[in-house]
Amino acid sequence: MRLSRRRVLKSLAATGAAAASPGVFMPALAQTGPLKIGILAPRTGIAASAGISGLAATEWAVEKFNAGGGIAGRKIQLVVEEETSPKDTIERFQKLVQQEKVECVMGIVSTGVGLALGPVVEEARALTIYWDGTTQDGVDEKLLNPKYLFRSTDNECEAVMSSLLAIKHWKGQFKRIAGINPDYSYGRNNMAAFIALLKRFDIEHEVVTEQWPKVGTMELTSHVAALKAANPDLIFSSLLFADLPVFMKQAHAADLTKGTKLVFPAAGWQHTLMKKDFTPEGMIFGHNTLYFDNPQATPMQKEFVAWYAEKQKDYPNWEADRAYFAIASYKEAVEKASKAKSGQWPGVDDVIGAMHGLSVESLGGKGGWRKDNIADQTFVQGFSTHNNKYDFVTLDPAKIETMYSADLQKPPGAKFWDWLKTAQFKI
Amino acid sequence: MRGATAMIVAAGVVALGLVPVLAPPFYANLLIPFFGYAIALLGFNLLFGYTGLLSFGHAMFLGLGAYGAAVMAGENGIKSFEVVLLGVALAGALVALPIGLLCVRFIGIFFGMLTLAFGMLTHAILFKFYHLTGGDSGMRVPRMNILGLEFQAYNKIELLAGPFYYYCLGLLVLCGLVMWRIVHSPFGLHLRALSNNAQKAEYLGVRVYQFRLAAFVISAIYGAIGGAILGFRIGLADPEIVHWTHSGHLVFMTVLGGFSSFLGPIAGALALTLLQDQLQSITPYWRFILGAVLAAVVIFLPRGLAGIAGTGAALAKRRAAA
Amino acid sequence: MSLIANLLLGGIFHAAVLFLVAAGLQLVFGVQKIVNLACGSFYALGAYFGITLVTLAMNFGLPAWLLLPILLVAGVLMAAVGPPIERLLRTVYDRDESFQLLLTFALVLMFQDVLRLVWGANPQSLNNVHLVYGKLTWGDLSVPVYNLLVIAAAGATAFFISLFLRRTNYGRLLRATAENRAMAEALGVNVRSVYAVVFTLGTMLGTVGGALVVPTSAASLDMAIEFVIEAFAVVVIGGLGSMPGALVGALLVGLIRAASLVVYPEFEILAIYVIVIAVLLFRPSGLLGKAAT
Repeated sequence: MRLSRRRVLKSLAATGAAAASPGVFMPALAQTGPLKIGILAPRTGIAASAGISGLAATEWAVEKFNAGGGIAGRKIQLVVEEETSPKDTIERFQKLVQQEKVECVMGIVSTGVGLALGPVVEEARALTIYWDGTTQDGVDEKLLNPKYLFRSTDNECEAVMSSLLAIKHWKGQFKRIAGINPDYSYGRNNMAAFIALLKRFDIEHEVVTEQWPKVGTMELTSHVAALKAANPDLIFSSLLFADLPVFMKQAHAADLTKGTKLVFPAAGWQHTLMKKDFTPEGMIFGHNTLYFDNPQATPMQKEFVAWYAEKQKDYPNWEADRAYFAIASYKEAVEKASKAKSGQWPGVDDVIGAMHGLSVESLGGKGGWRKDNIADQTFVQGFSTHNNKYDFVTLDPAKIETMYSADLQKPPGAKFWDWLKTAQFKI
Repeated sequence: MRGATAMIVAAGVVALGLVPVLAPPFYANLLIPFFGYAIALLGFNLLFGYTGLLSFGHAMFLGLGAYGAAVMAGENGIKSFEVVLLGVALAGALVALPIGLLCVRFIGIFFGMLTLAFGMLTHAILFKFYHLTGGDSGMRVPRMNILGLEFQAYNKIELLAGPFYYYCLGLLVLCGLVMWRIVHSPFGLHLRALSNNAQKAEYLGVRVYQFRLAAFVISAIYGAIGGAILGFRIGLADPEIVHWTHSGHLVFMTVLGGFSSFLGPIAGALALTLLQDQLQSITPYWRFILGAVLAAVVIFLPRGLAGIAGTGAALAKRRAAA
Repeated sequence: MSLIANLLLGGIFHAAVLFLVAAGLQLVFGVQKIVNLACGSFYALGAYFGITLVTLAMNFGLPAWLLLPILLVAGVLMAAVGPPIERLLRTVYDRDESFQLLLTFALVLMFQDVLRLVWGANPQSLNNVHLVYGKLTWGDLSVPVYNLLVIAAAGATAFFISLFLRRTNYGRLLRATAENRAMAEALGVNVRSVYAVVFTLGTMLGTVGGALVVPTSAASLDMAIEFVIEAFAVVVIGGLGSMPGALVGALLVGLIRAASLVVYPEFEILAIYVIVIAVLLFRPSGLLGKAAT
């Protein structure tokens, strides 16, 4: 009985094999009609503010590109799906590729989702460009040498840059360091990178406390009390969701921020919530790849920020730049590949080839693609100031620092933690 | 009734079997999680529909299956999916035994809250023991072979849309047959008896506590098997799988399909999978509509989709008789 | 020394807010026997509307010291969602408790999108208006007076609820209905109106809790789902349906969380679940609840 059941199963499997023989699955490359691009962005939950910024920038870019004739002559048509849990996002991705037949997918903010989706992207052979969500742990193992997947700069770039700034400006002025970071891989890695860099530069330090509030914790007075009791000279924090302004507010109320050096590499994610009332001046404040009020901004950035402020009644965060970079570099690559084929619509492999080594002017500055499908972008950080027309802090224009990620992330093939120990940093 | 059920099952199996052949390839992939849920819900409903115990933490066993697959296949290189299934089923039983020993002493809302607490404890552990579990990034679940066959010519999407699809269909039929035997055995009858009136059942010699525990363990085994299928499909075991809202969705599917019917939960899993897929494409506010559908089902269709089918069948019968 | 004082204050403040929401849960469970998963959604609703109303009032030129009363008004106004939801729940009063639980789960799903539709997906927060009441500084100890006012408000709520339940006729009516619905009905209690009142009161405790906490915190879409678990921990530890239990449970959760941050930060969330499970196992009725069946 058991044997026959097994045989039935086997023959069933064989039927399946006949039904979906290999090669049936091929992304379609229609060469006429609108060019469909799929977007996977979070619209609710903790990462929603990133999703909104990214979506808005994509719409802005599409409006602009379409007014200029689209991409290599084809008008762009967006198909937007939601980034949620890993399981659901994989389904939405497959829907975009298999049902909607989009030619490229862009988006993804969360690392957990990005890691799960990576192998699916490769198997679907669908060109996919991540906006964000590539924290180091797991990337080496789960997204090894991708061909179709183009991923954003290392998530630790901002922490490396903030650490370098802290070392450059405050060396010798702090010894007791404390951390309060979100309890997930991003927070863990950022704190670890900071400590690794302190060691790398032989800076004598003592970690007096490390707090790991769960993402979404909105009541941090006890954490603040614990930090205060540890009496640190410097606090390193990569809080970035709604818990960031909550922490600042509660820390301010408890006088924790007074006289303490603050290093906040990811603060730009919620910059408009960092009200002057409770956010001090002089903290190291990371805006990642887009600082909306940058005095050295290109006319394009200024135009976008004005449009965004008008439309969203808010100022964009870095995800807007990531999203613009994704679609602008895709446009550039398609047009380059098309030119090389004398105007013919390029295949996926041609576009991928054209992406490598490509460089475009994104909203926040220059960006390009390495040969290993990893982005390089321009990072902006600085020291917070109250001297502006807004009710939240911005960067002191005299002390804005800009770094290209070639100096902030590991070179192709290197291991992140080994690279930190040996790299030559420019500070 | 047996004949009618057999006909429905046969029709359902044929219809599902035709999906990879007739429907666009996306749908075969979309239905893989459905098979995982359907198997898990067969077990879940033994606990809920037949024994009267509503668990609001059942997603922890799906998580166990997914993480179990990650540990066995990802960390220890076990290639055979059947071995992994057996392994997670065993792990499910072993974990469910102590938890069940503690939980089944209670019924009603206390049982629900205790399982909810265990579920969230599991969630917190997965997050906190970051170095073992990968925290929010989860653990990788690699591709495995099925029935000893590698299917090397297939990439994973093709594997899922073809051989693995039929494998899961077969597994669902197999698990369904076993569960059918369980609920129609004296054991199953005892469960229903103690669900209706535990005291009376006890007087009649039903060992209430042991029977509930057995139902709990069996439901955990089914949950772990379903979770392993989910893990295979996603390629990742992540803490989202054990979150309490995911447990809520399991209950949602069961009630949508109808928990007083054997096939109801399977219908519910299918309906919710397809509904959510459609809604997500139509509107960004799909959660609201799902919530409204759930509310409507709870209020107007307490017996779920199976209830509609049952009423329809009864009407037809009455009409035929008249 | 100041560490302990700071931690105590932090823990008690957290407990005060938890108590308000948990008290709402207890009231509804005690009388109607419904476990309301949507209590976190009411909390979020109060928080969002609190921001809206305070912003409006400040733009209108009302003095900042009116903050606390304005927030109370915001919370009370939002309790208006109570009666229609109670009407919805009325359809399942006679059914199995799993249906009631599921219906409130449906509300959780729906509220998430309603909040997003009205207030957008970005988190929202107020300026430092709550510092208008000043800060109390004593050596290393520094605490906003507002936090103390919220603690006092929660304490006052606890006091008045117990007074209301024990000393007023309507309170006795509620307790009678909680004790034995059929008997109360037979004695002429209008159970239908009692349920409507109780559910609205329970909702109000949640919305007021959310409104009061928001000046020191922020409003975000996921706060509902996160908070409900903590509120559940409180009622389980204190004992389902027991008002004093909610108070004790809230204090325990608030203080344990604060203490574990200093002793062993990794244990923070775990500690609460472990205690919940321990209580359920060894004293399933909760520390102050009646015996479970």
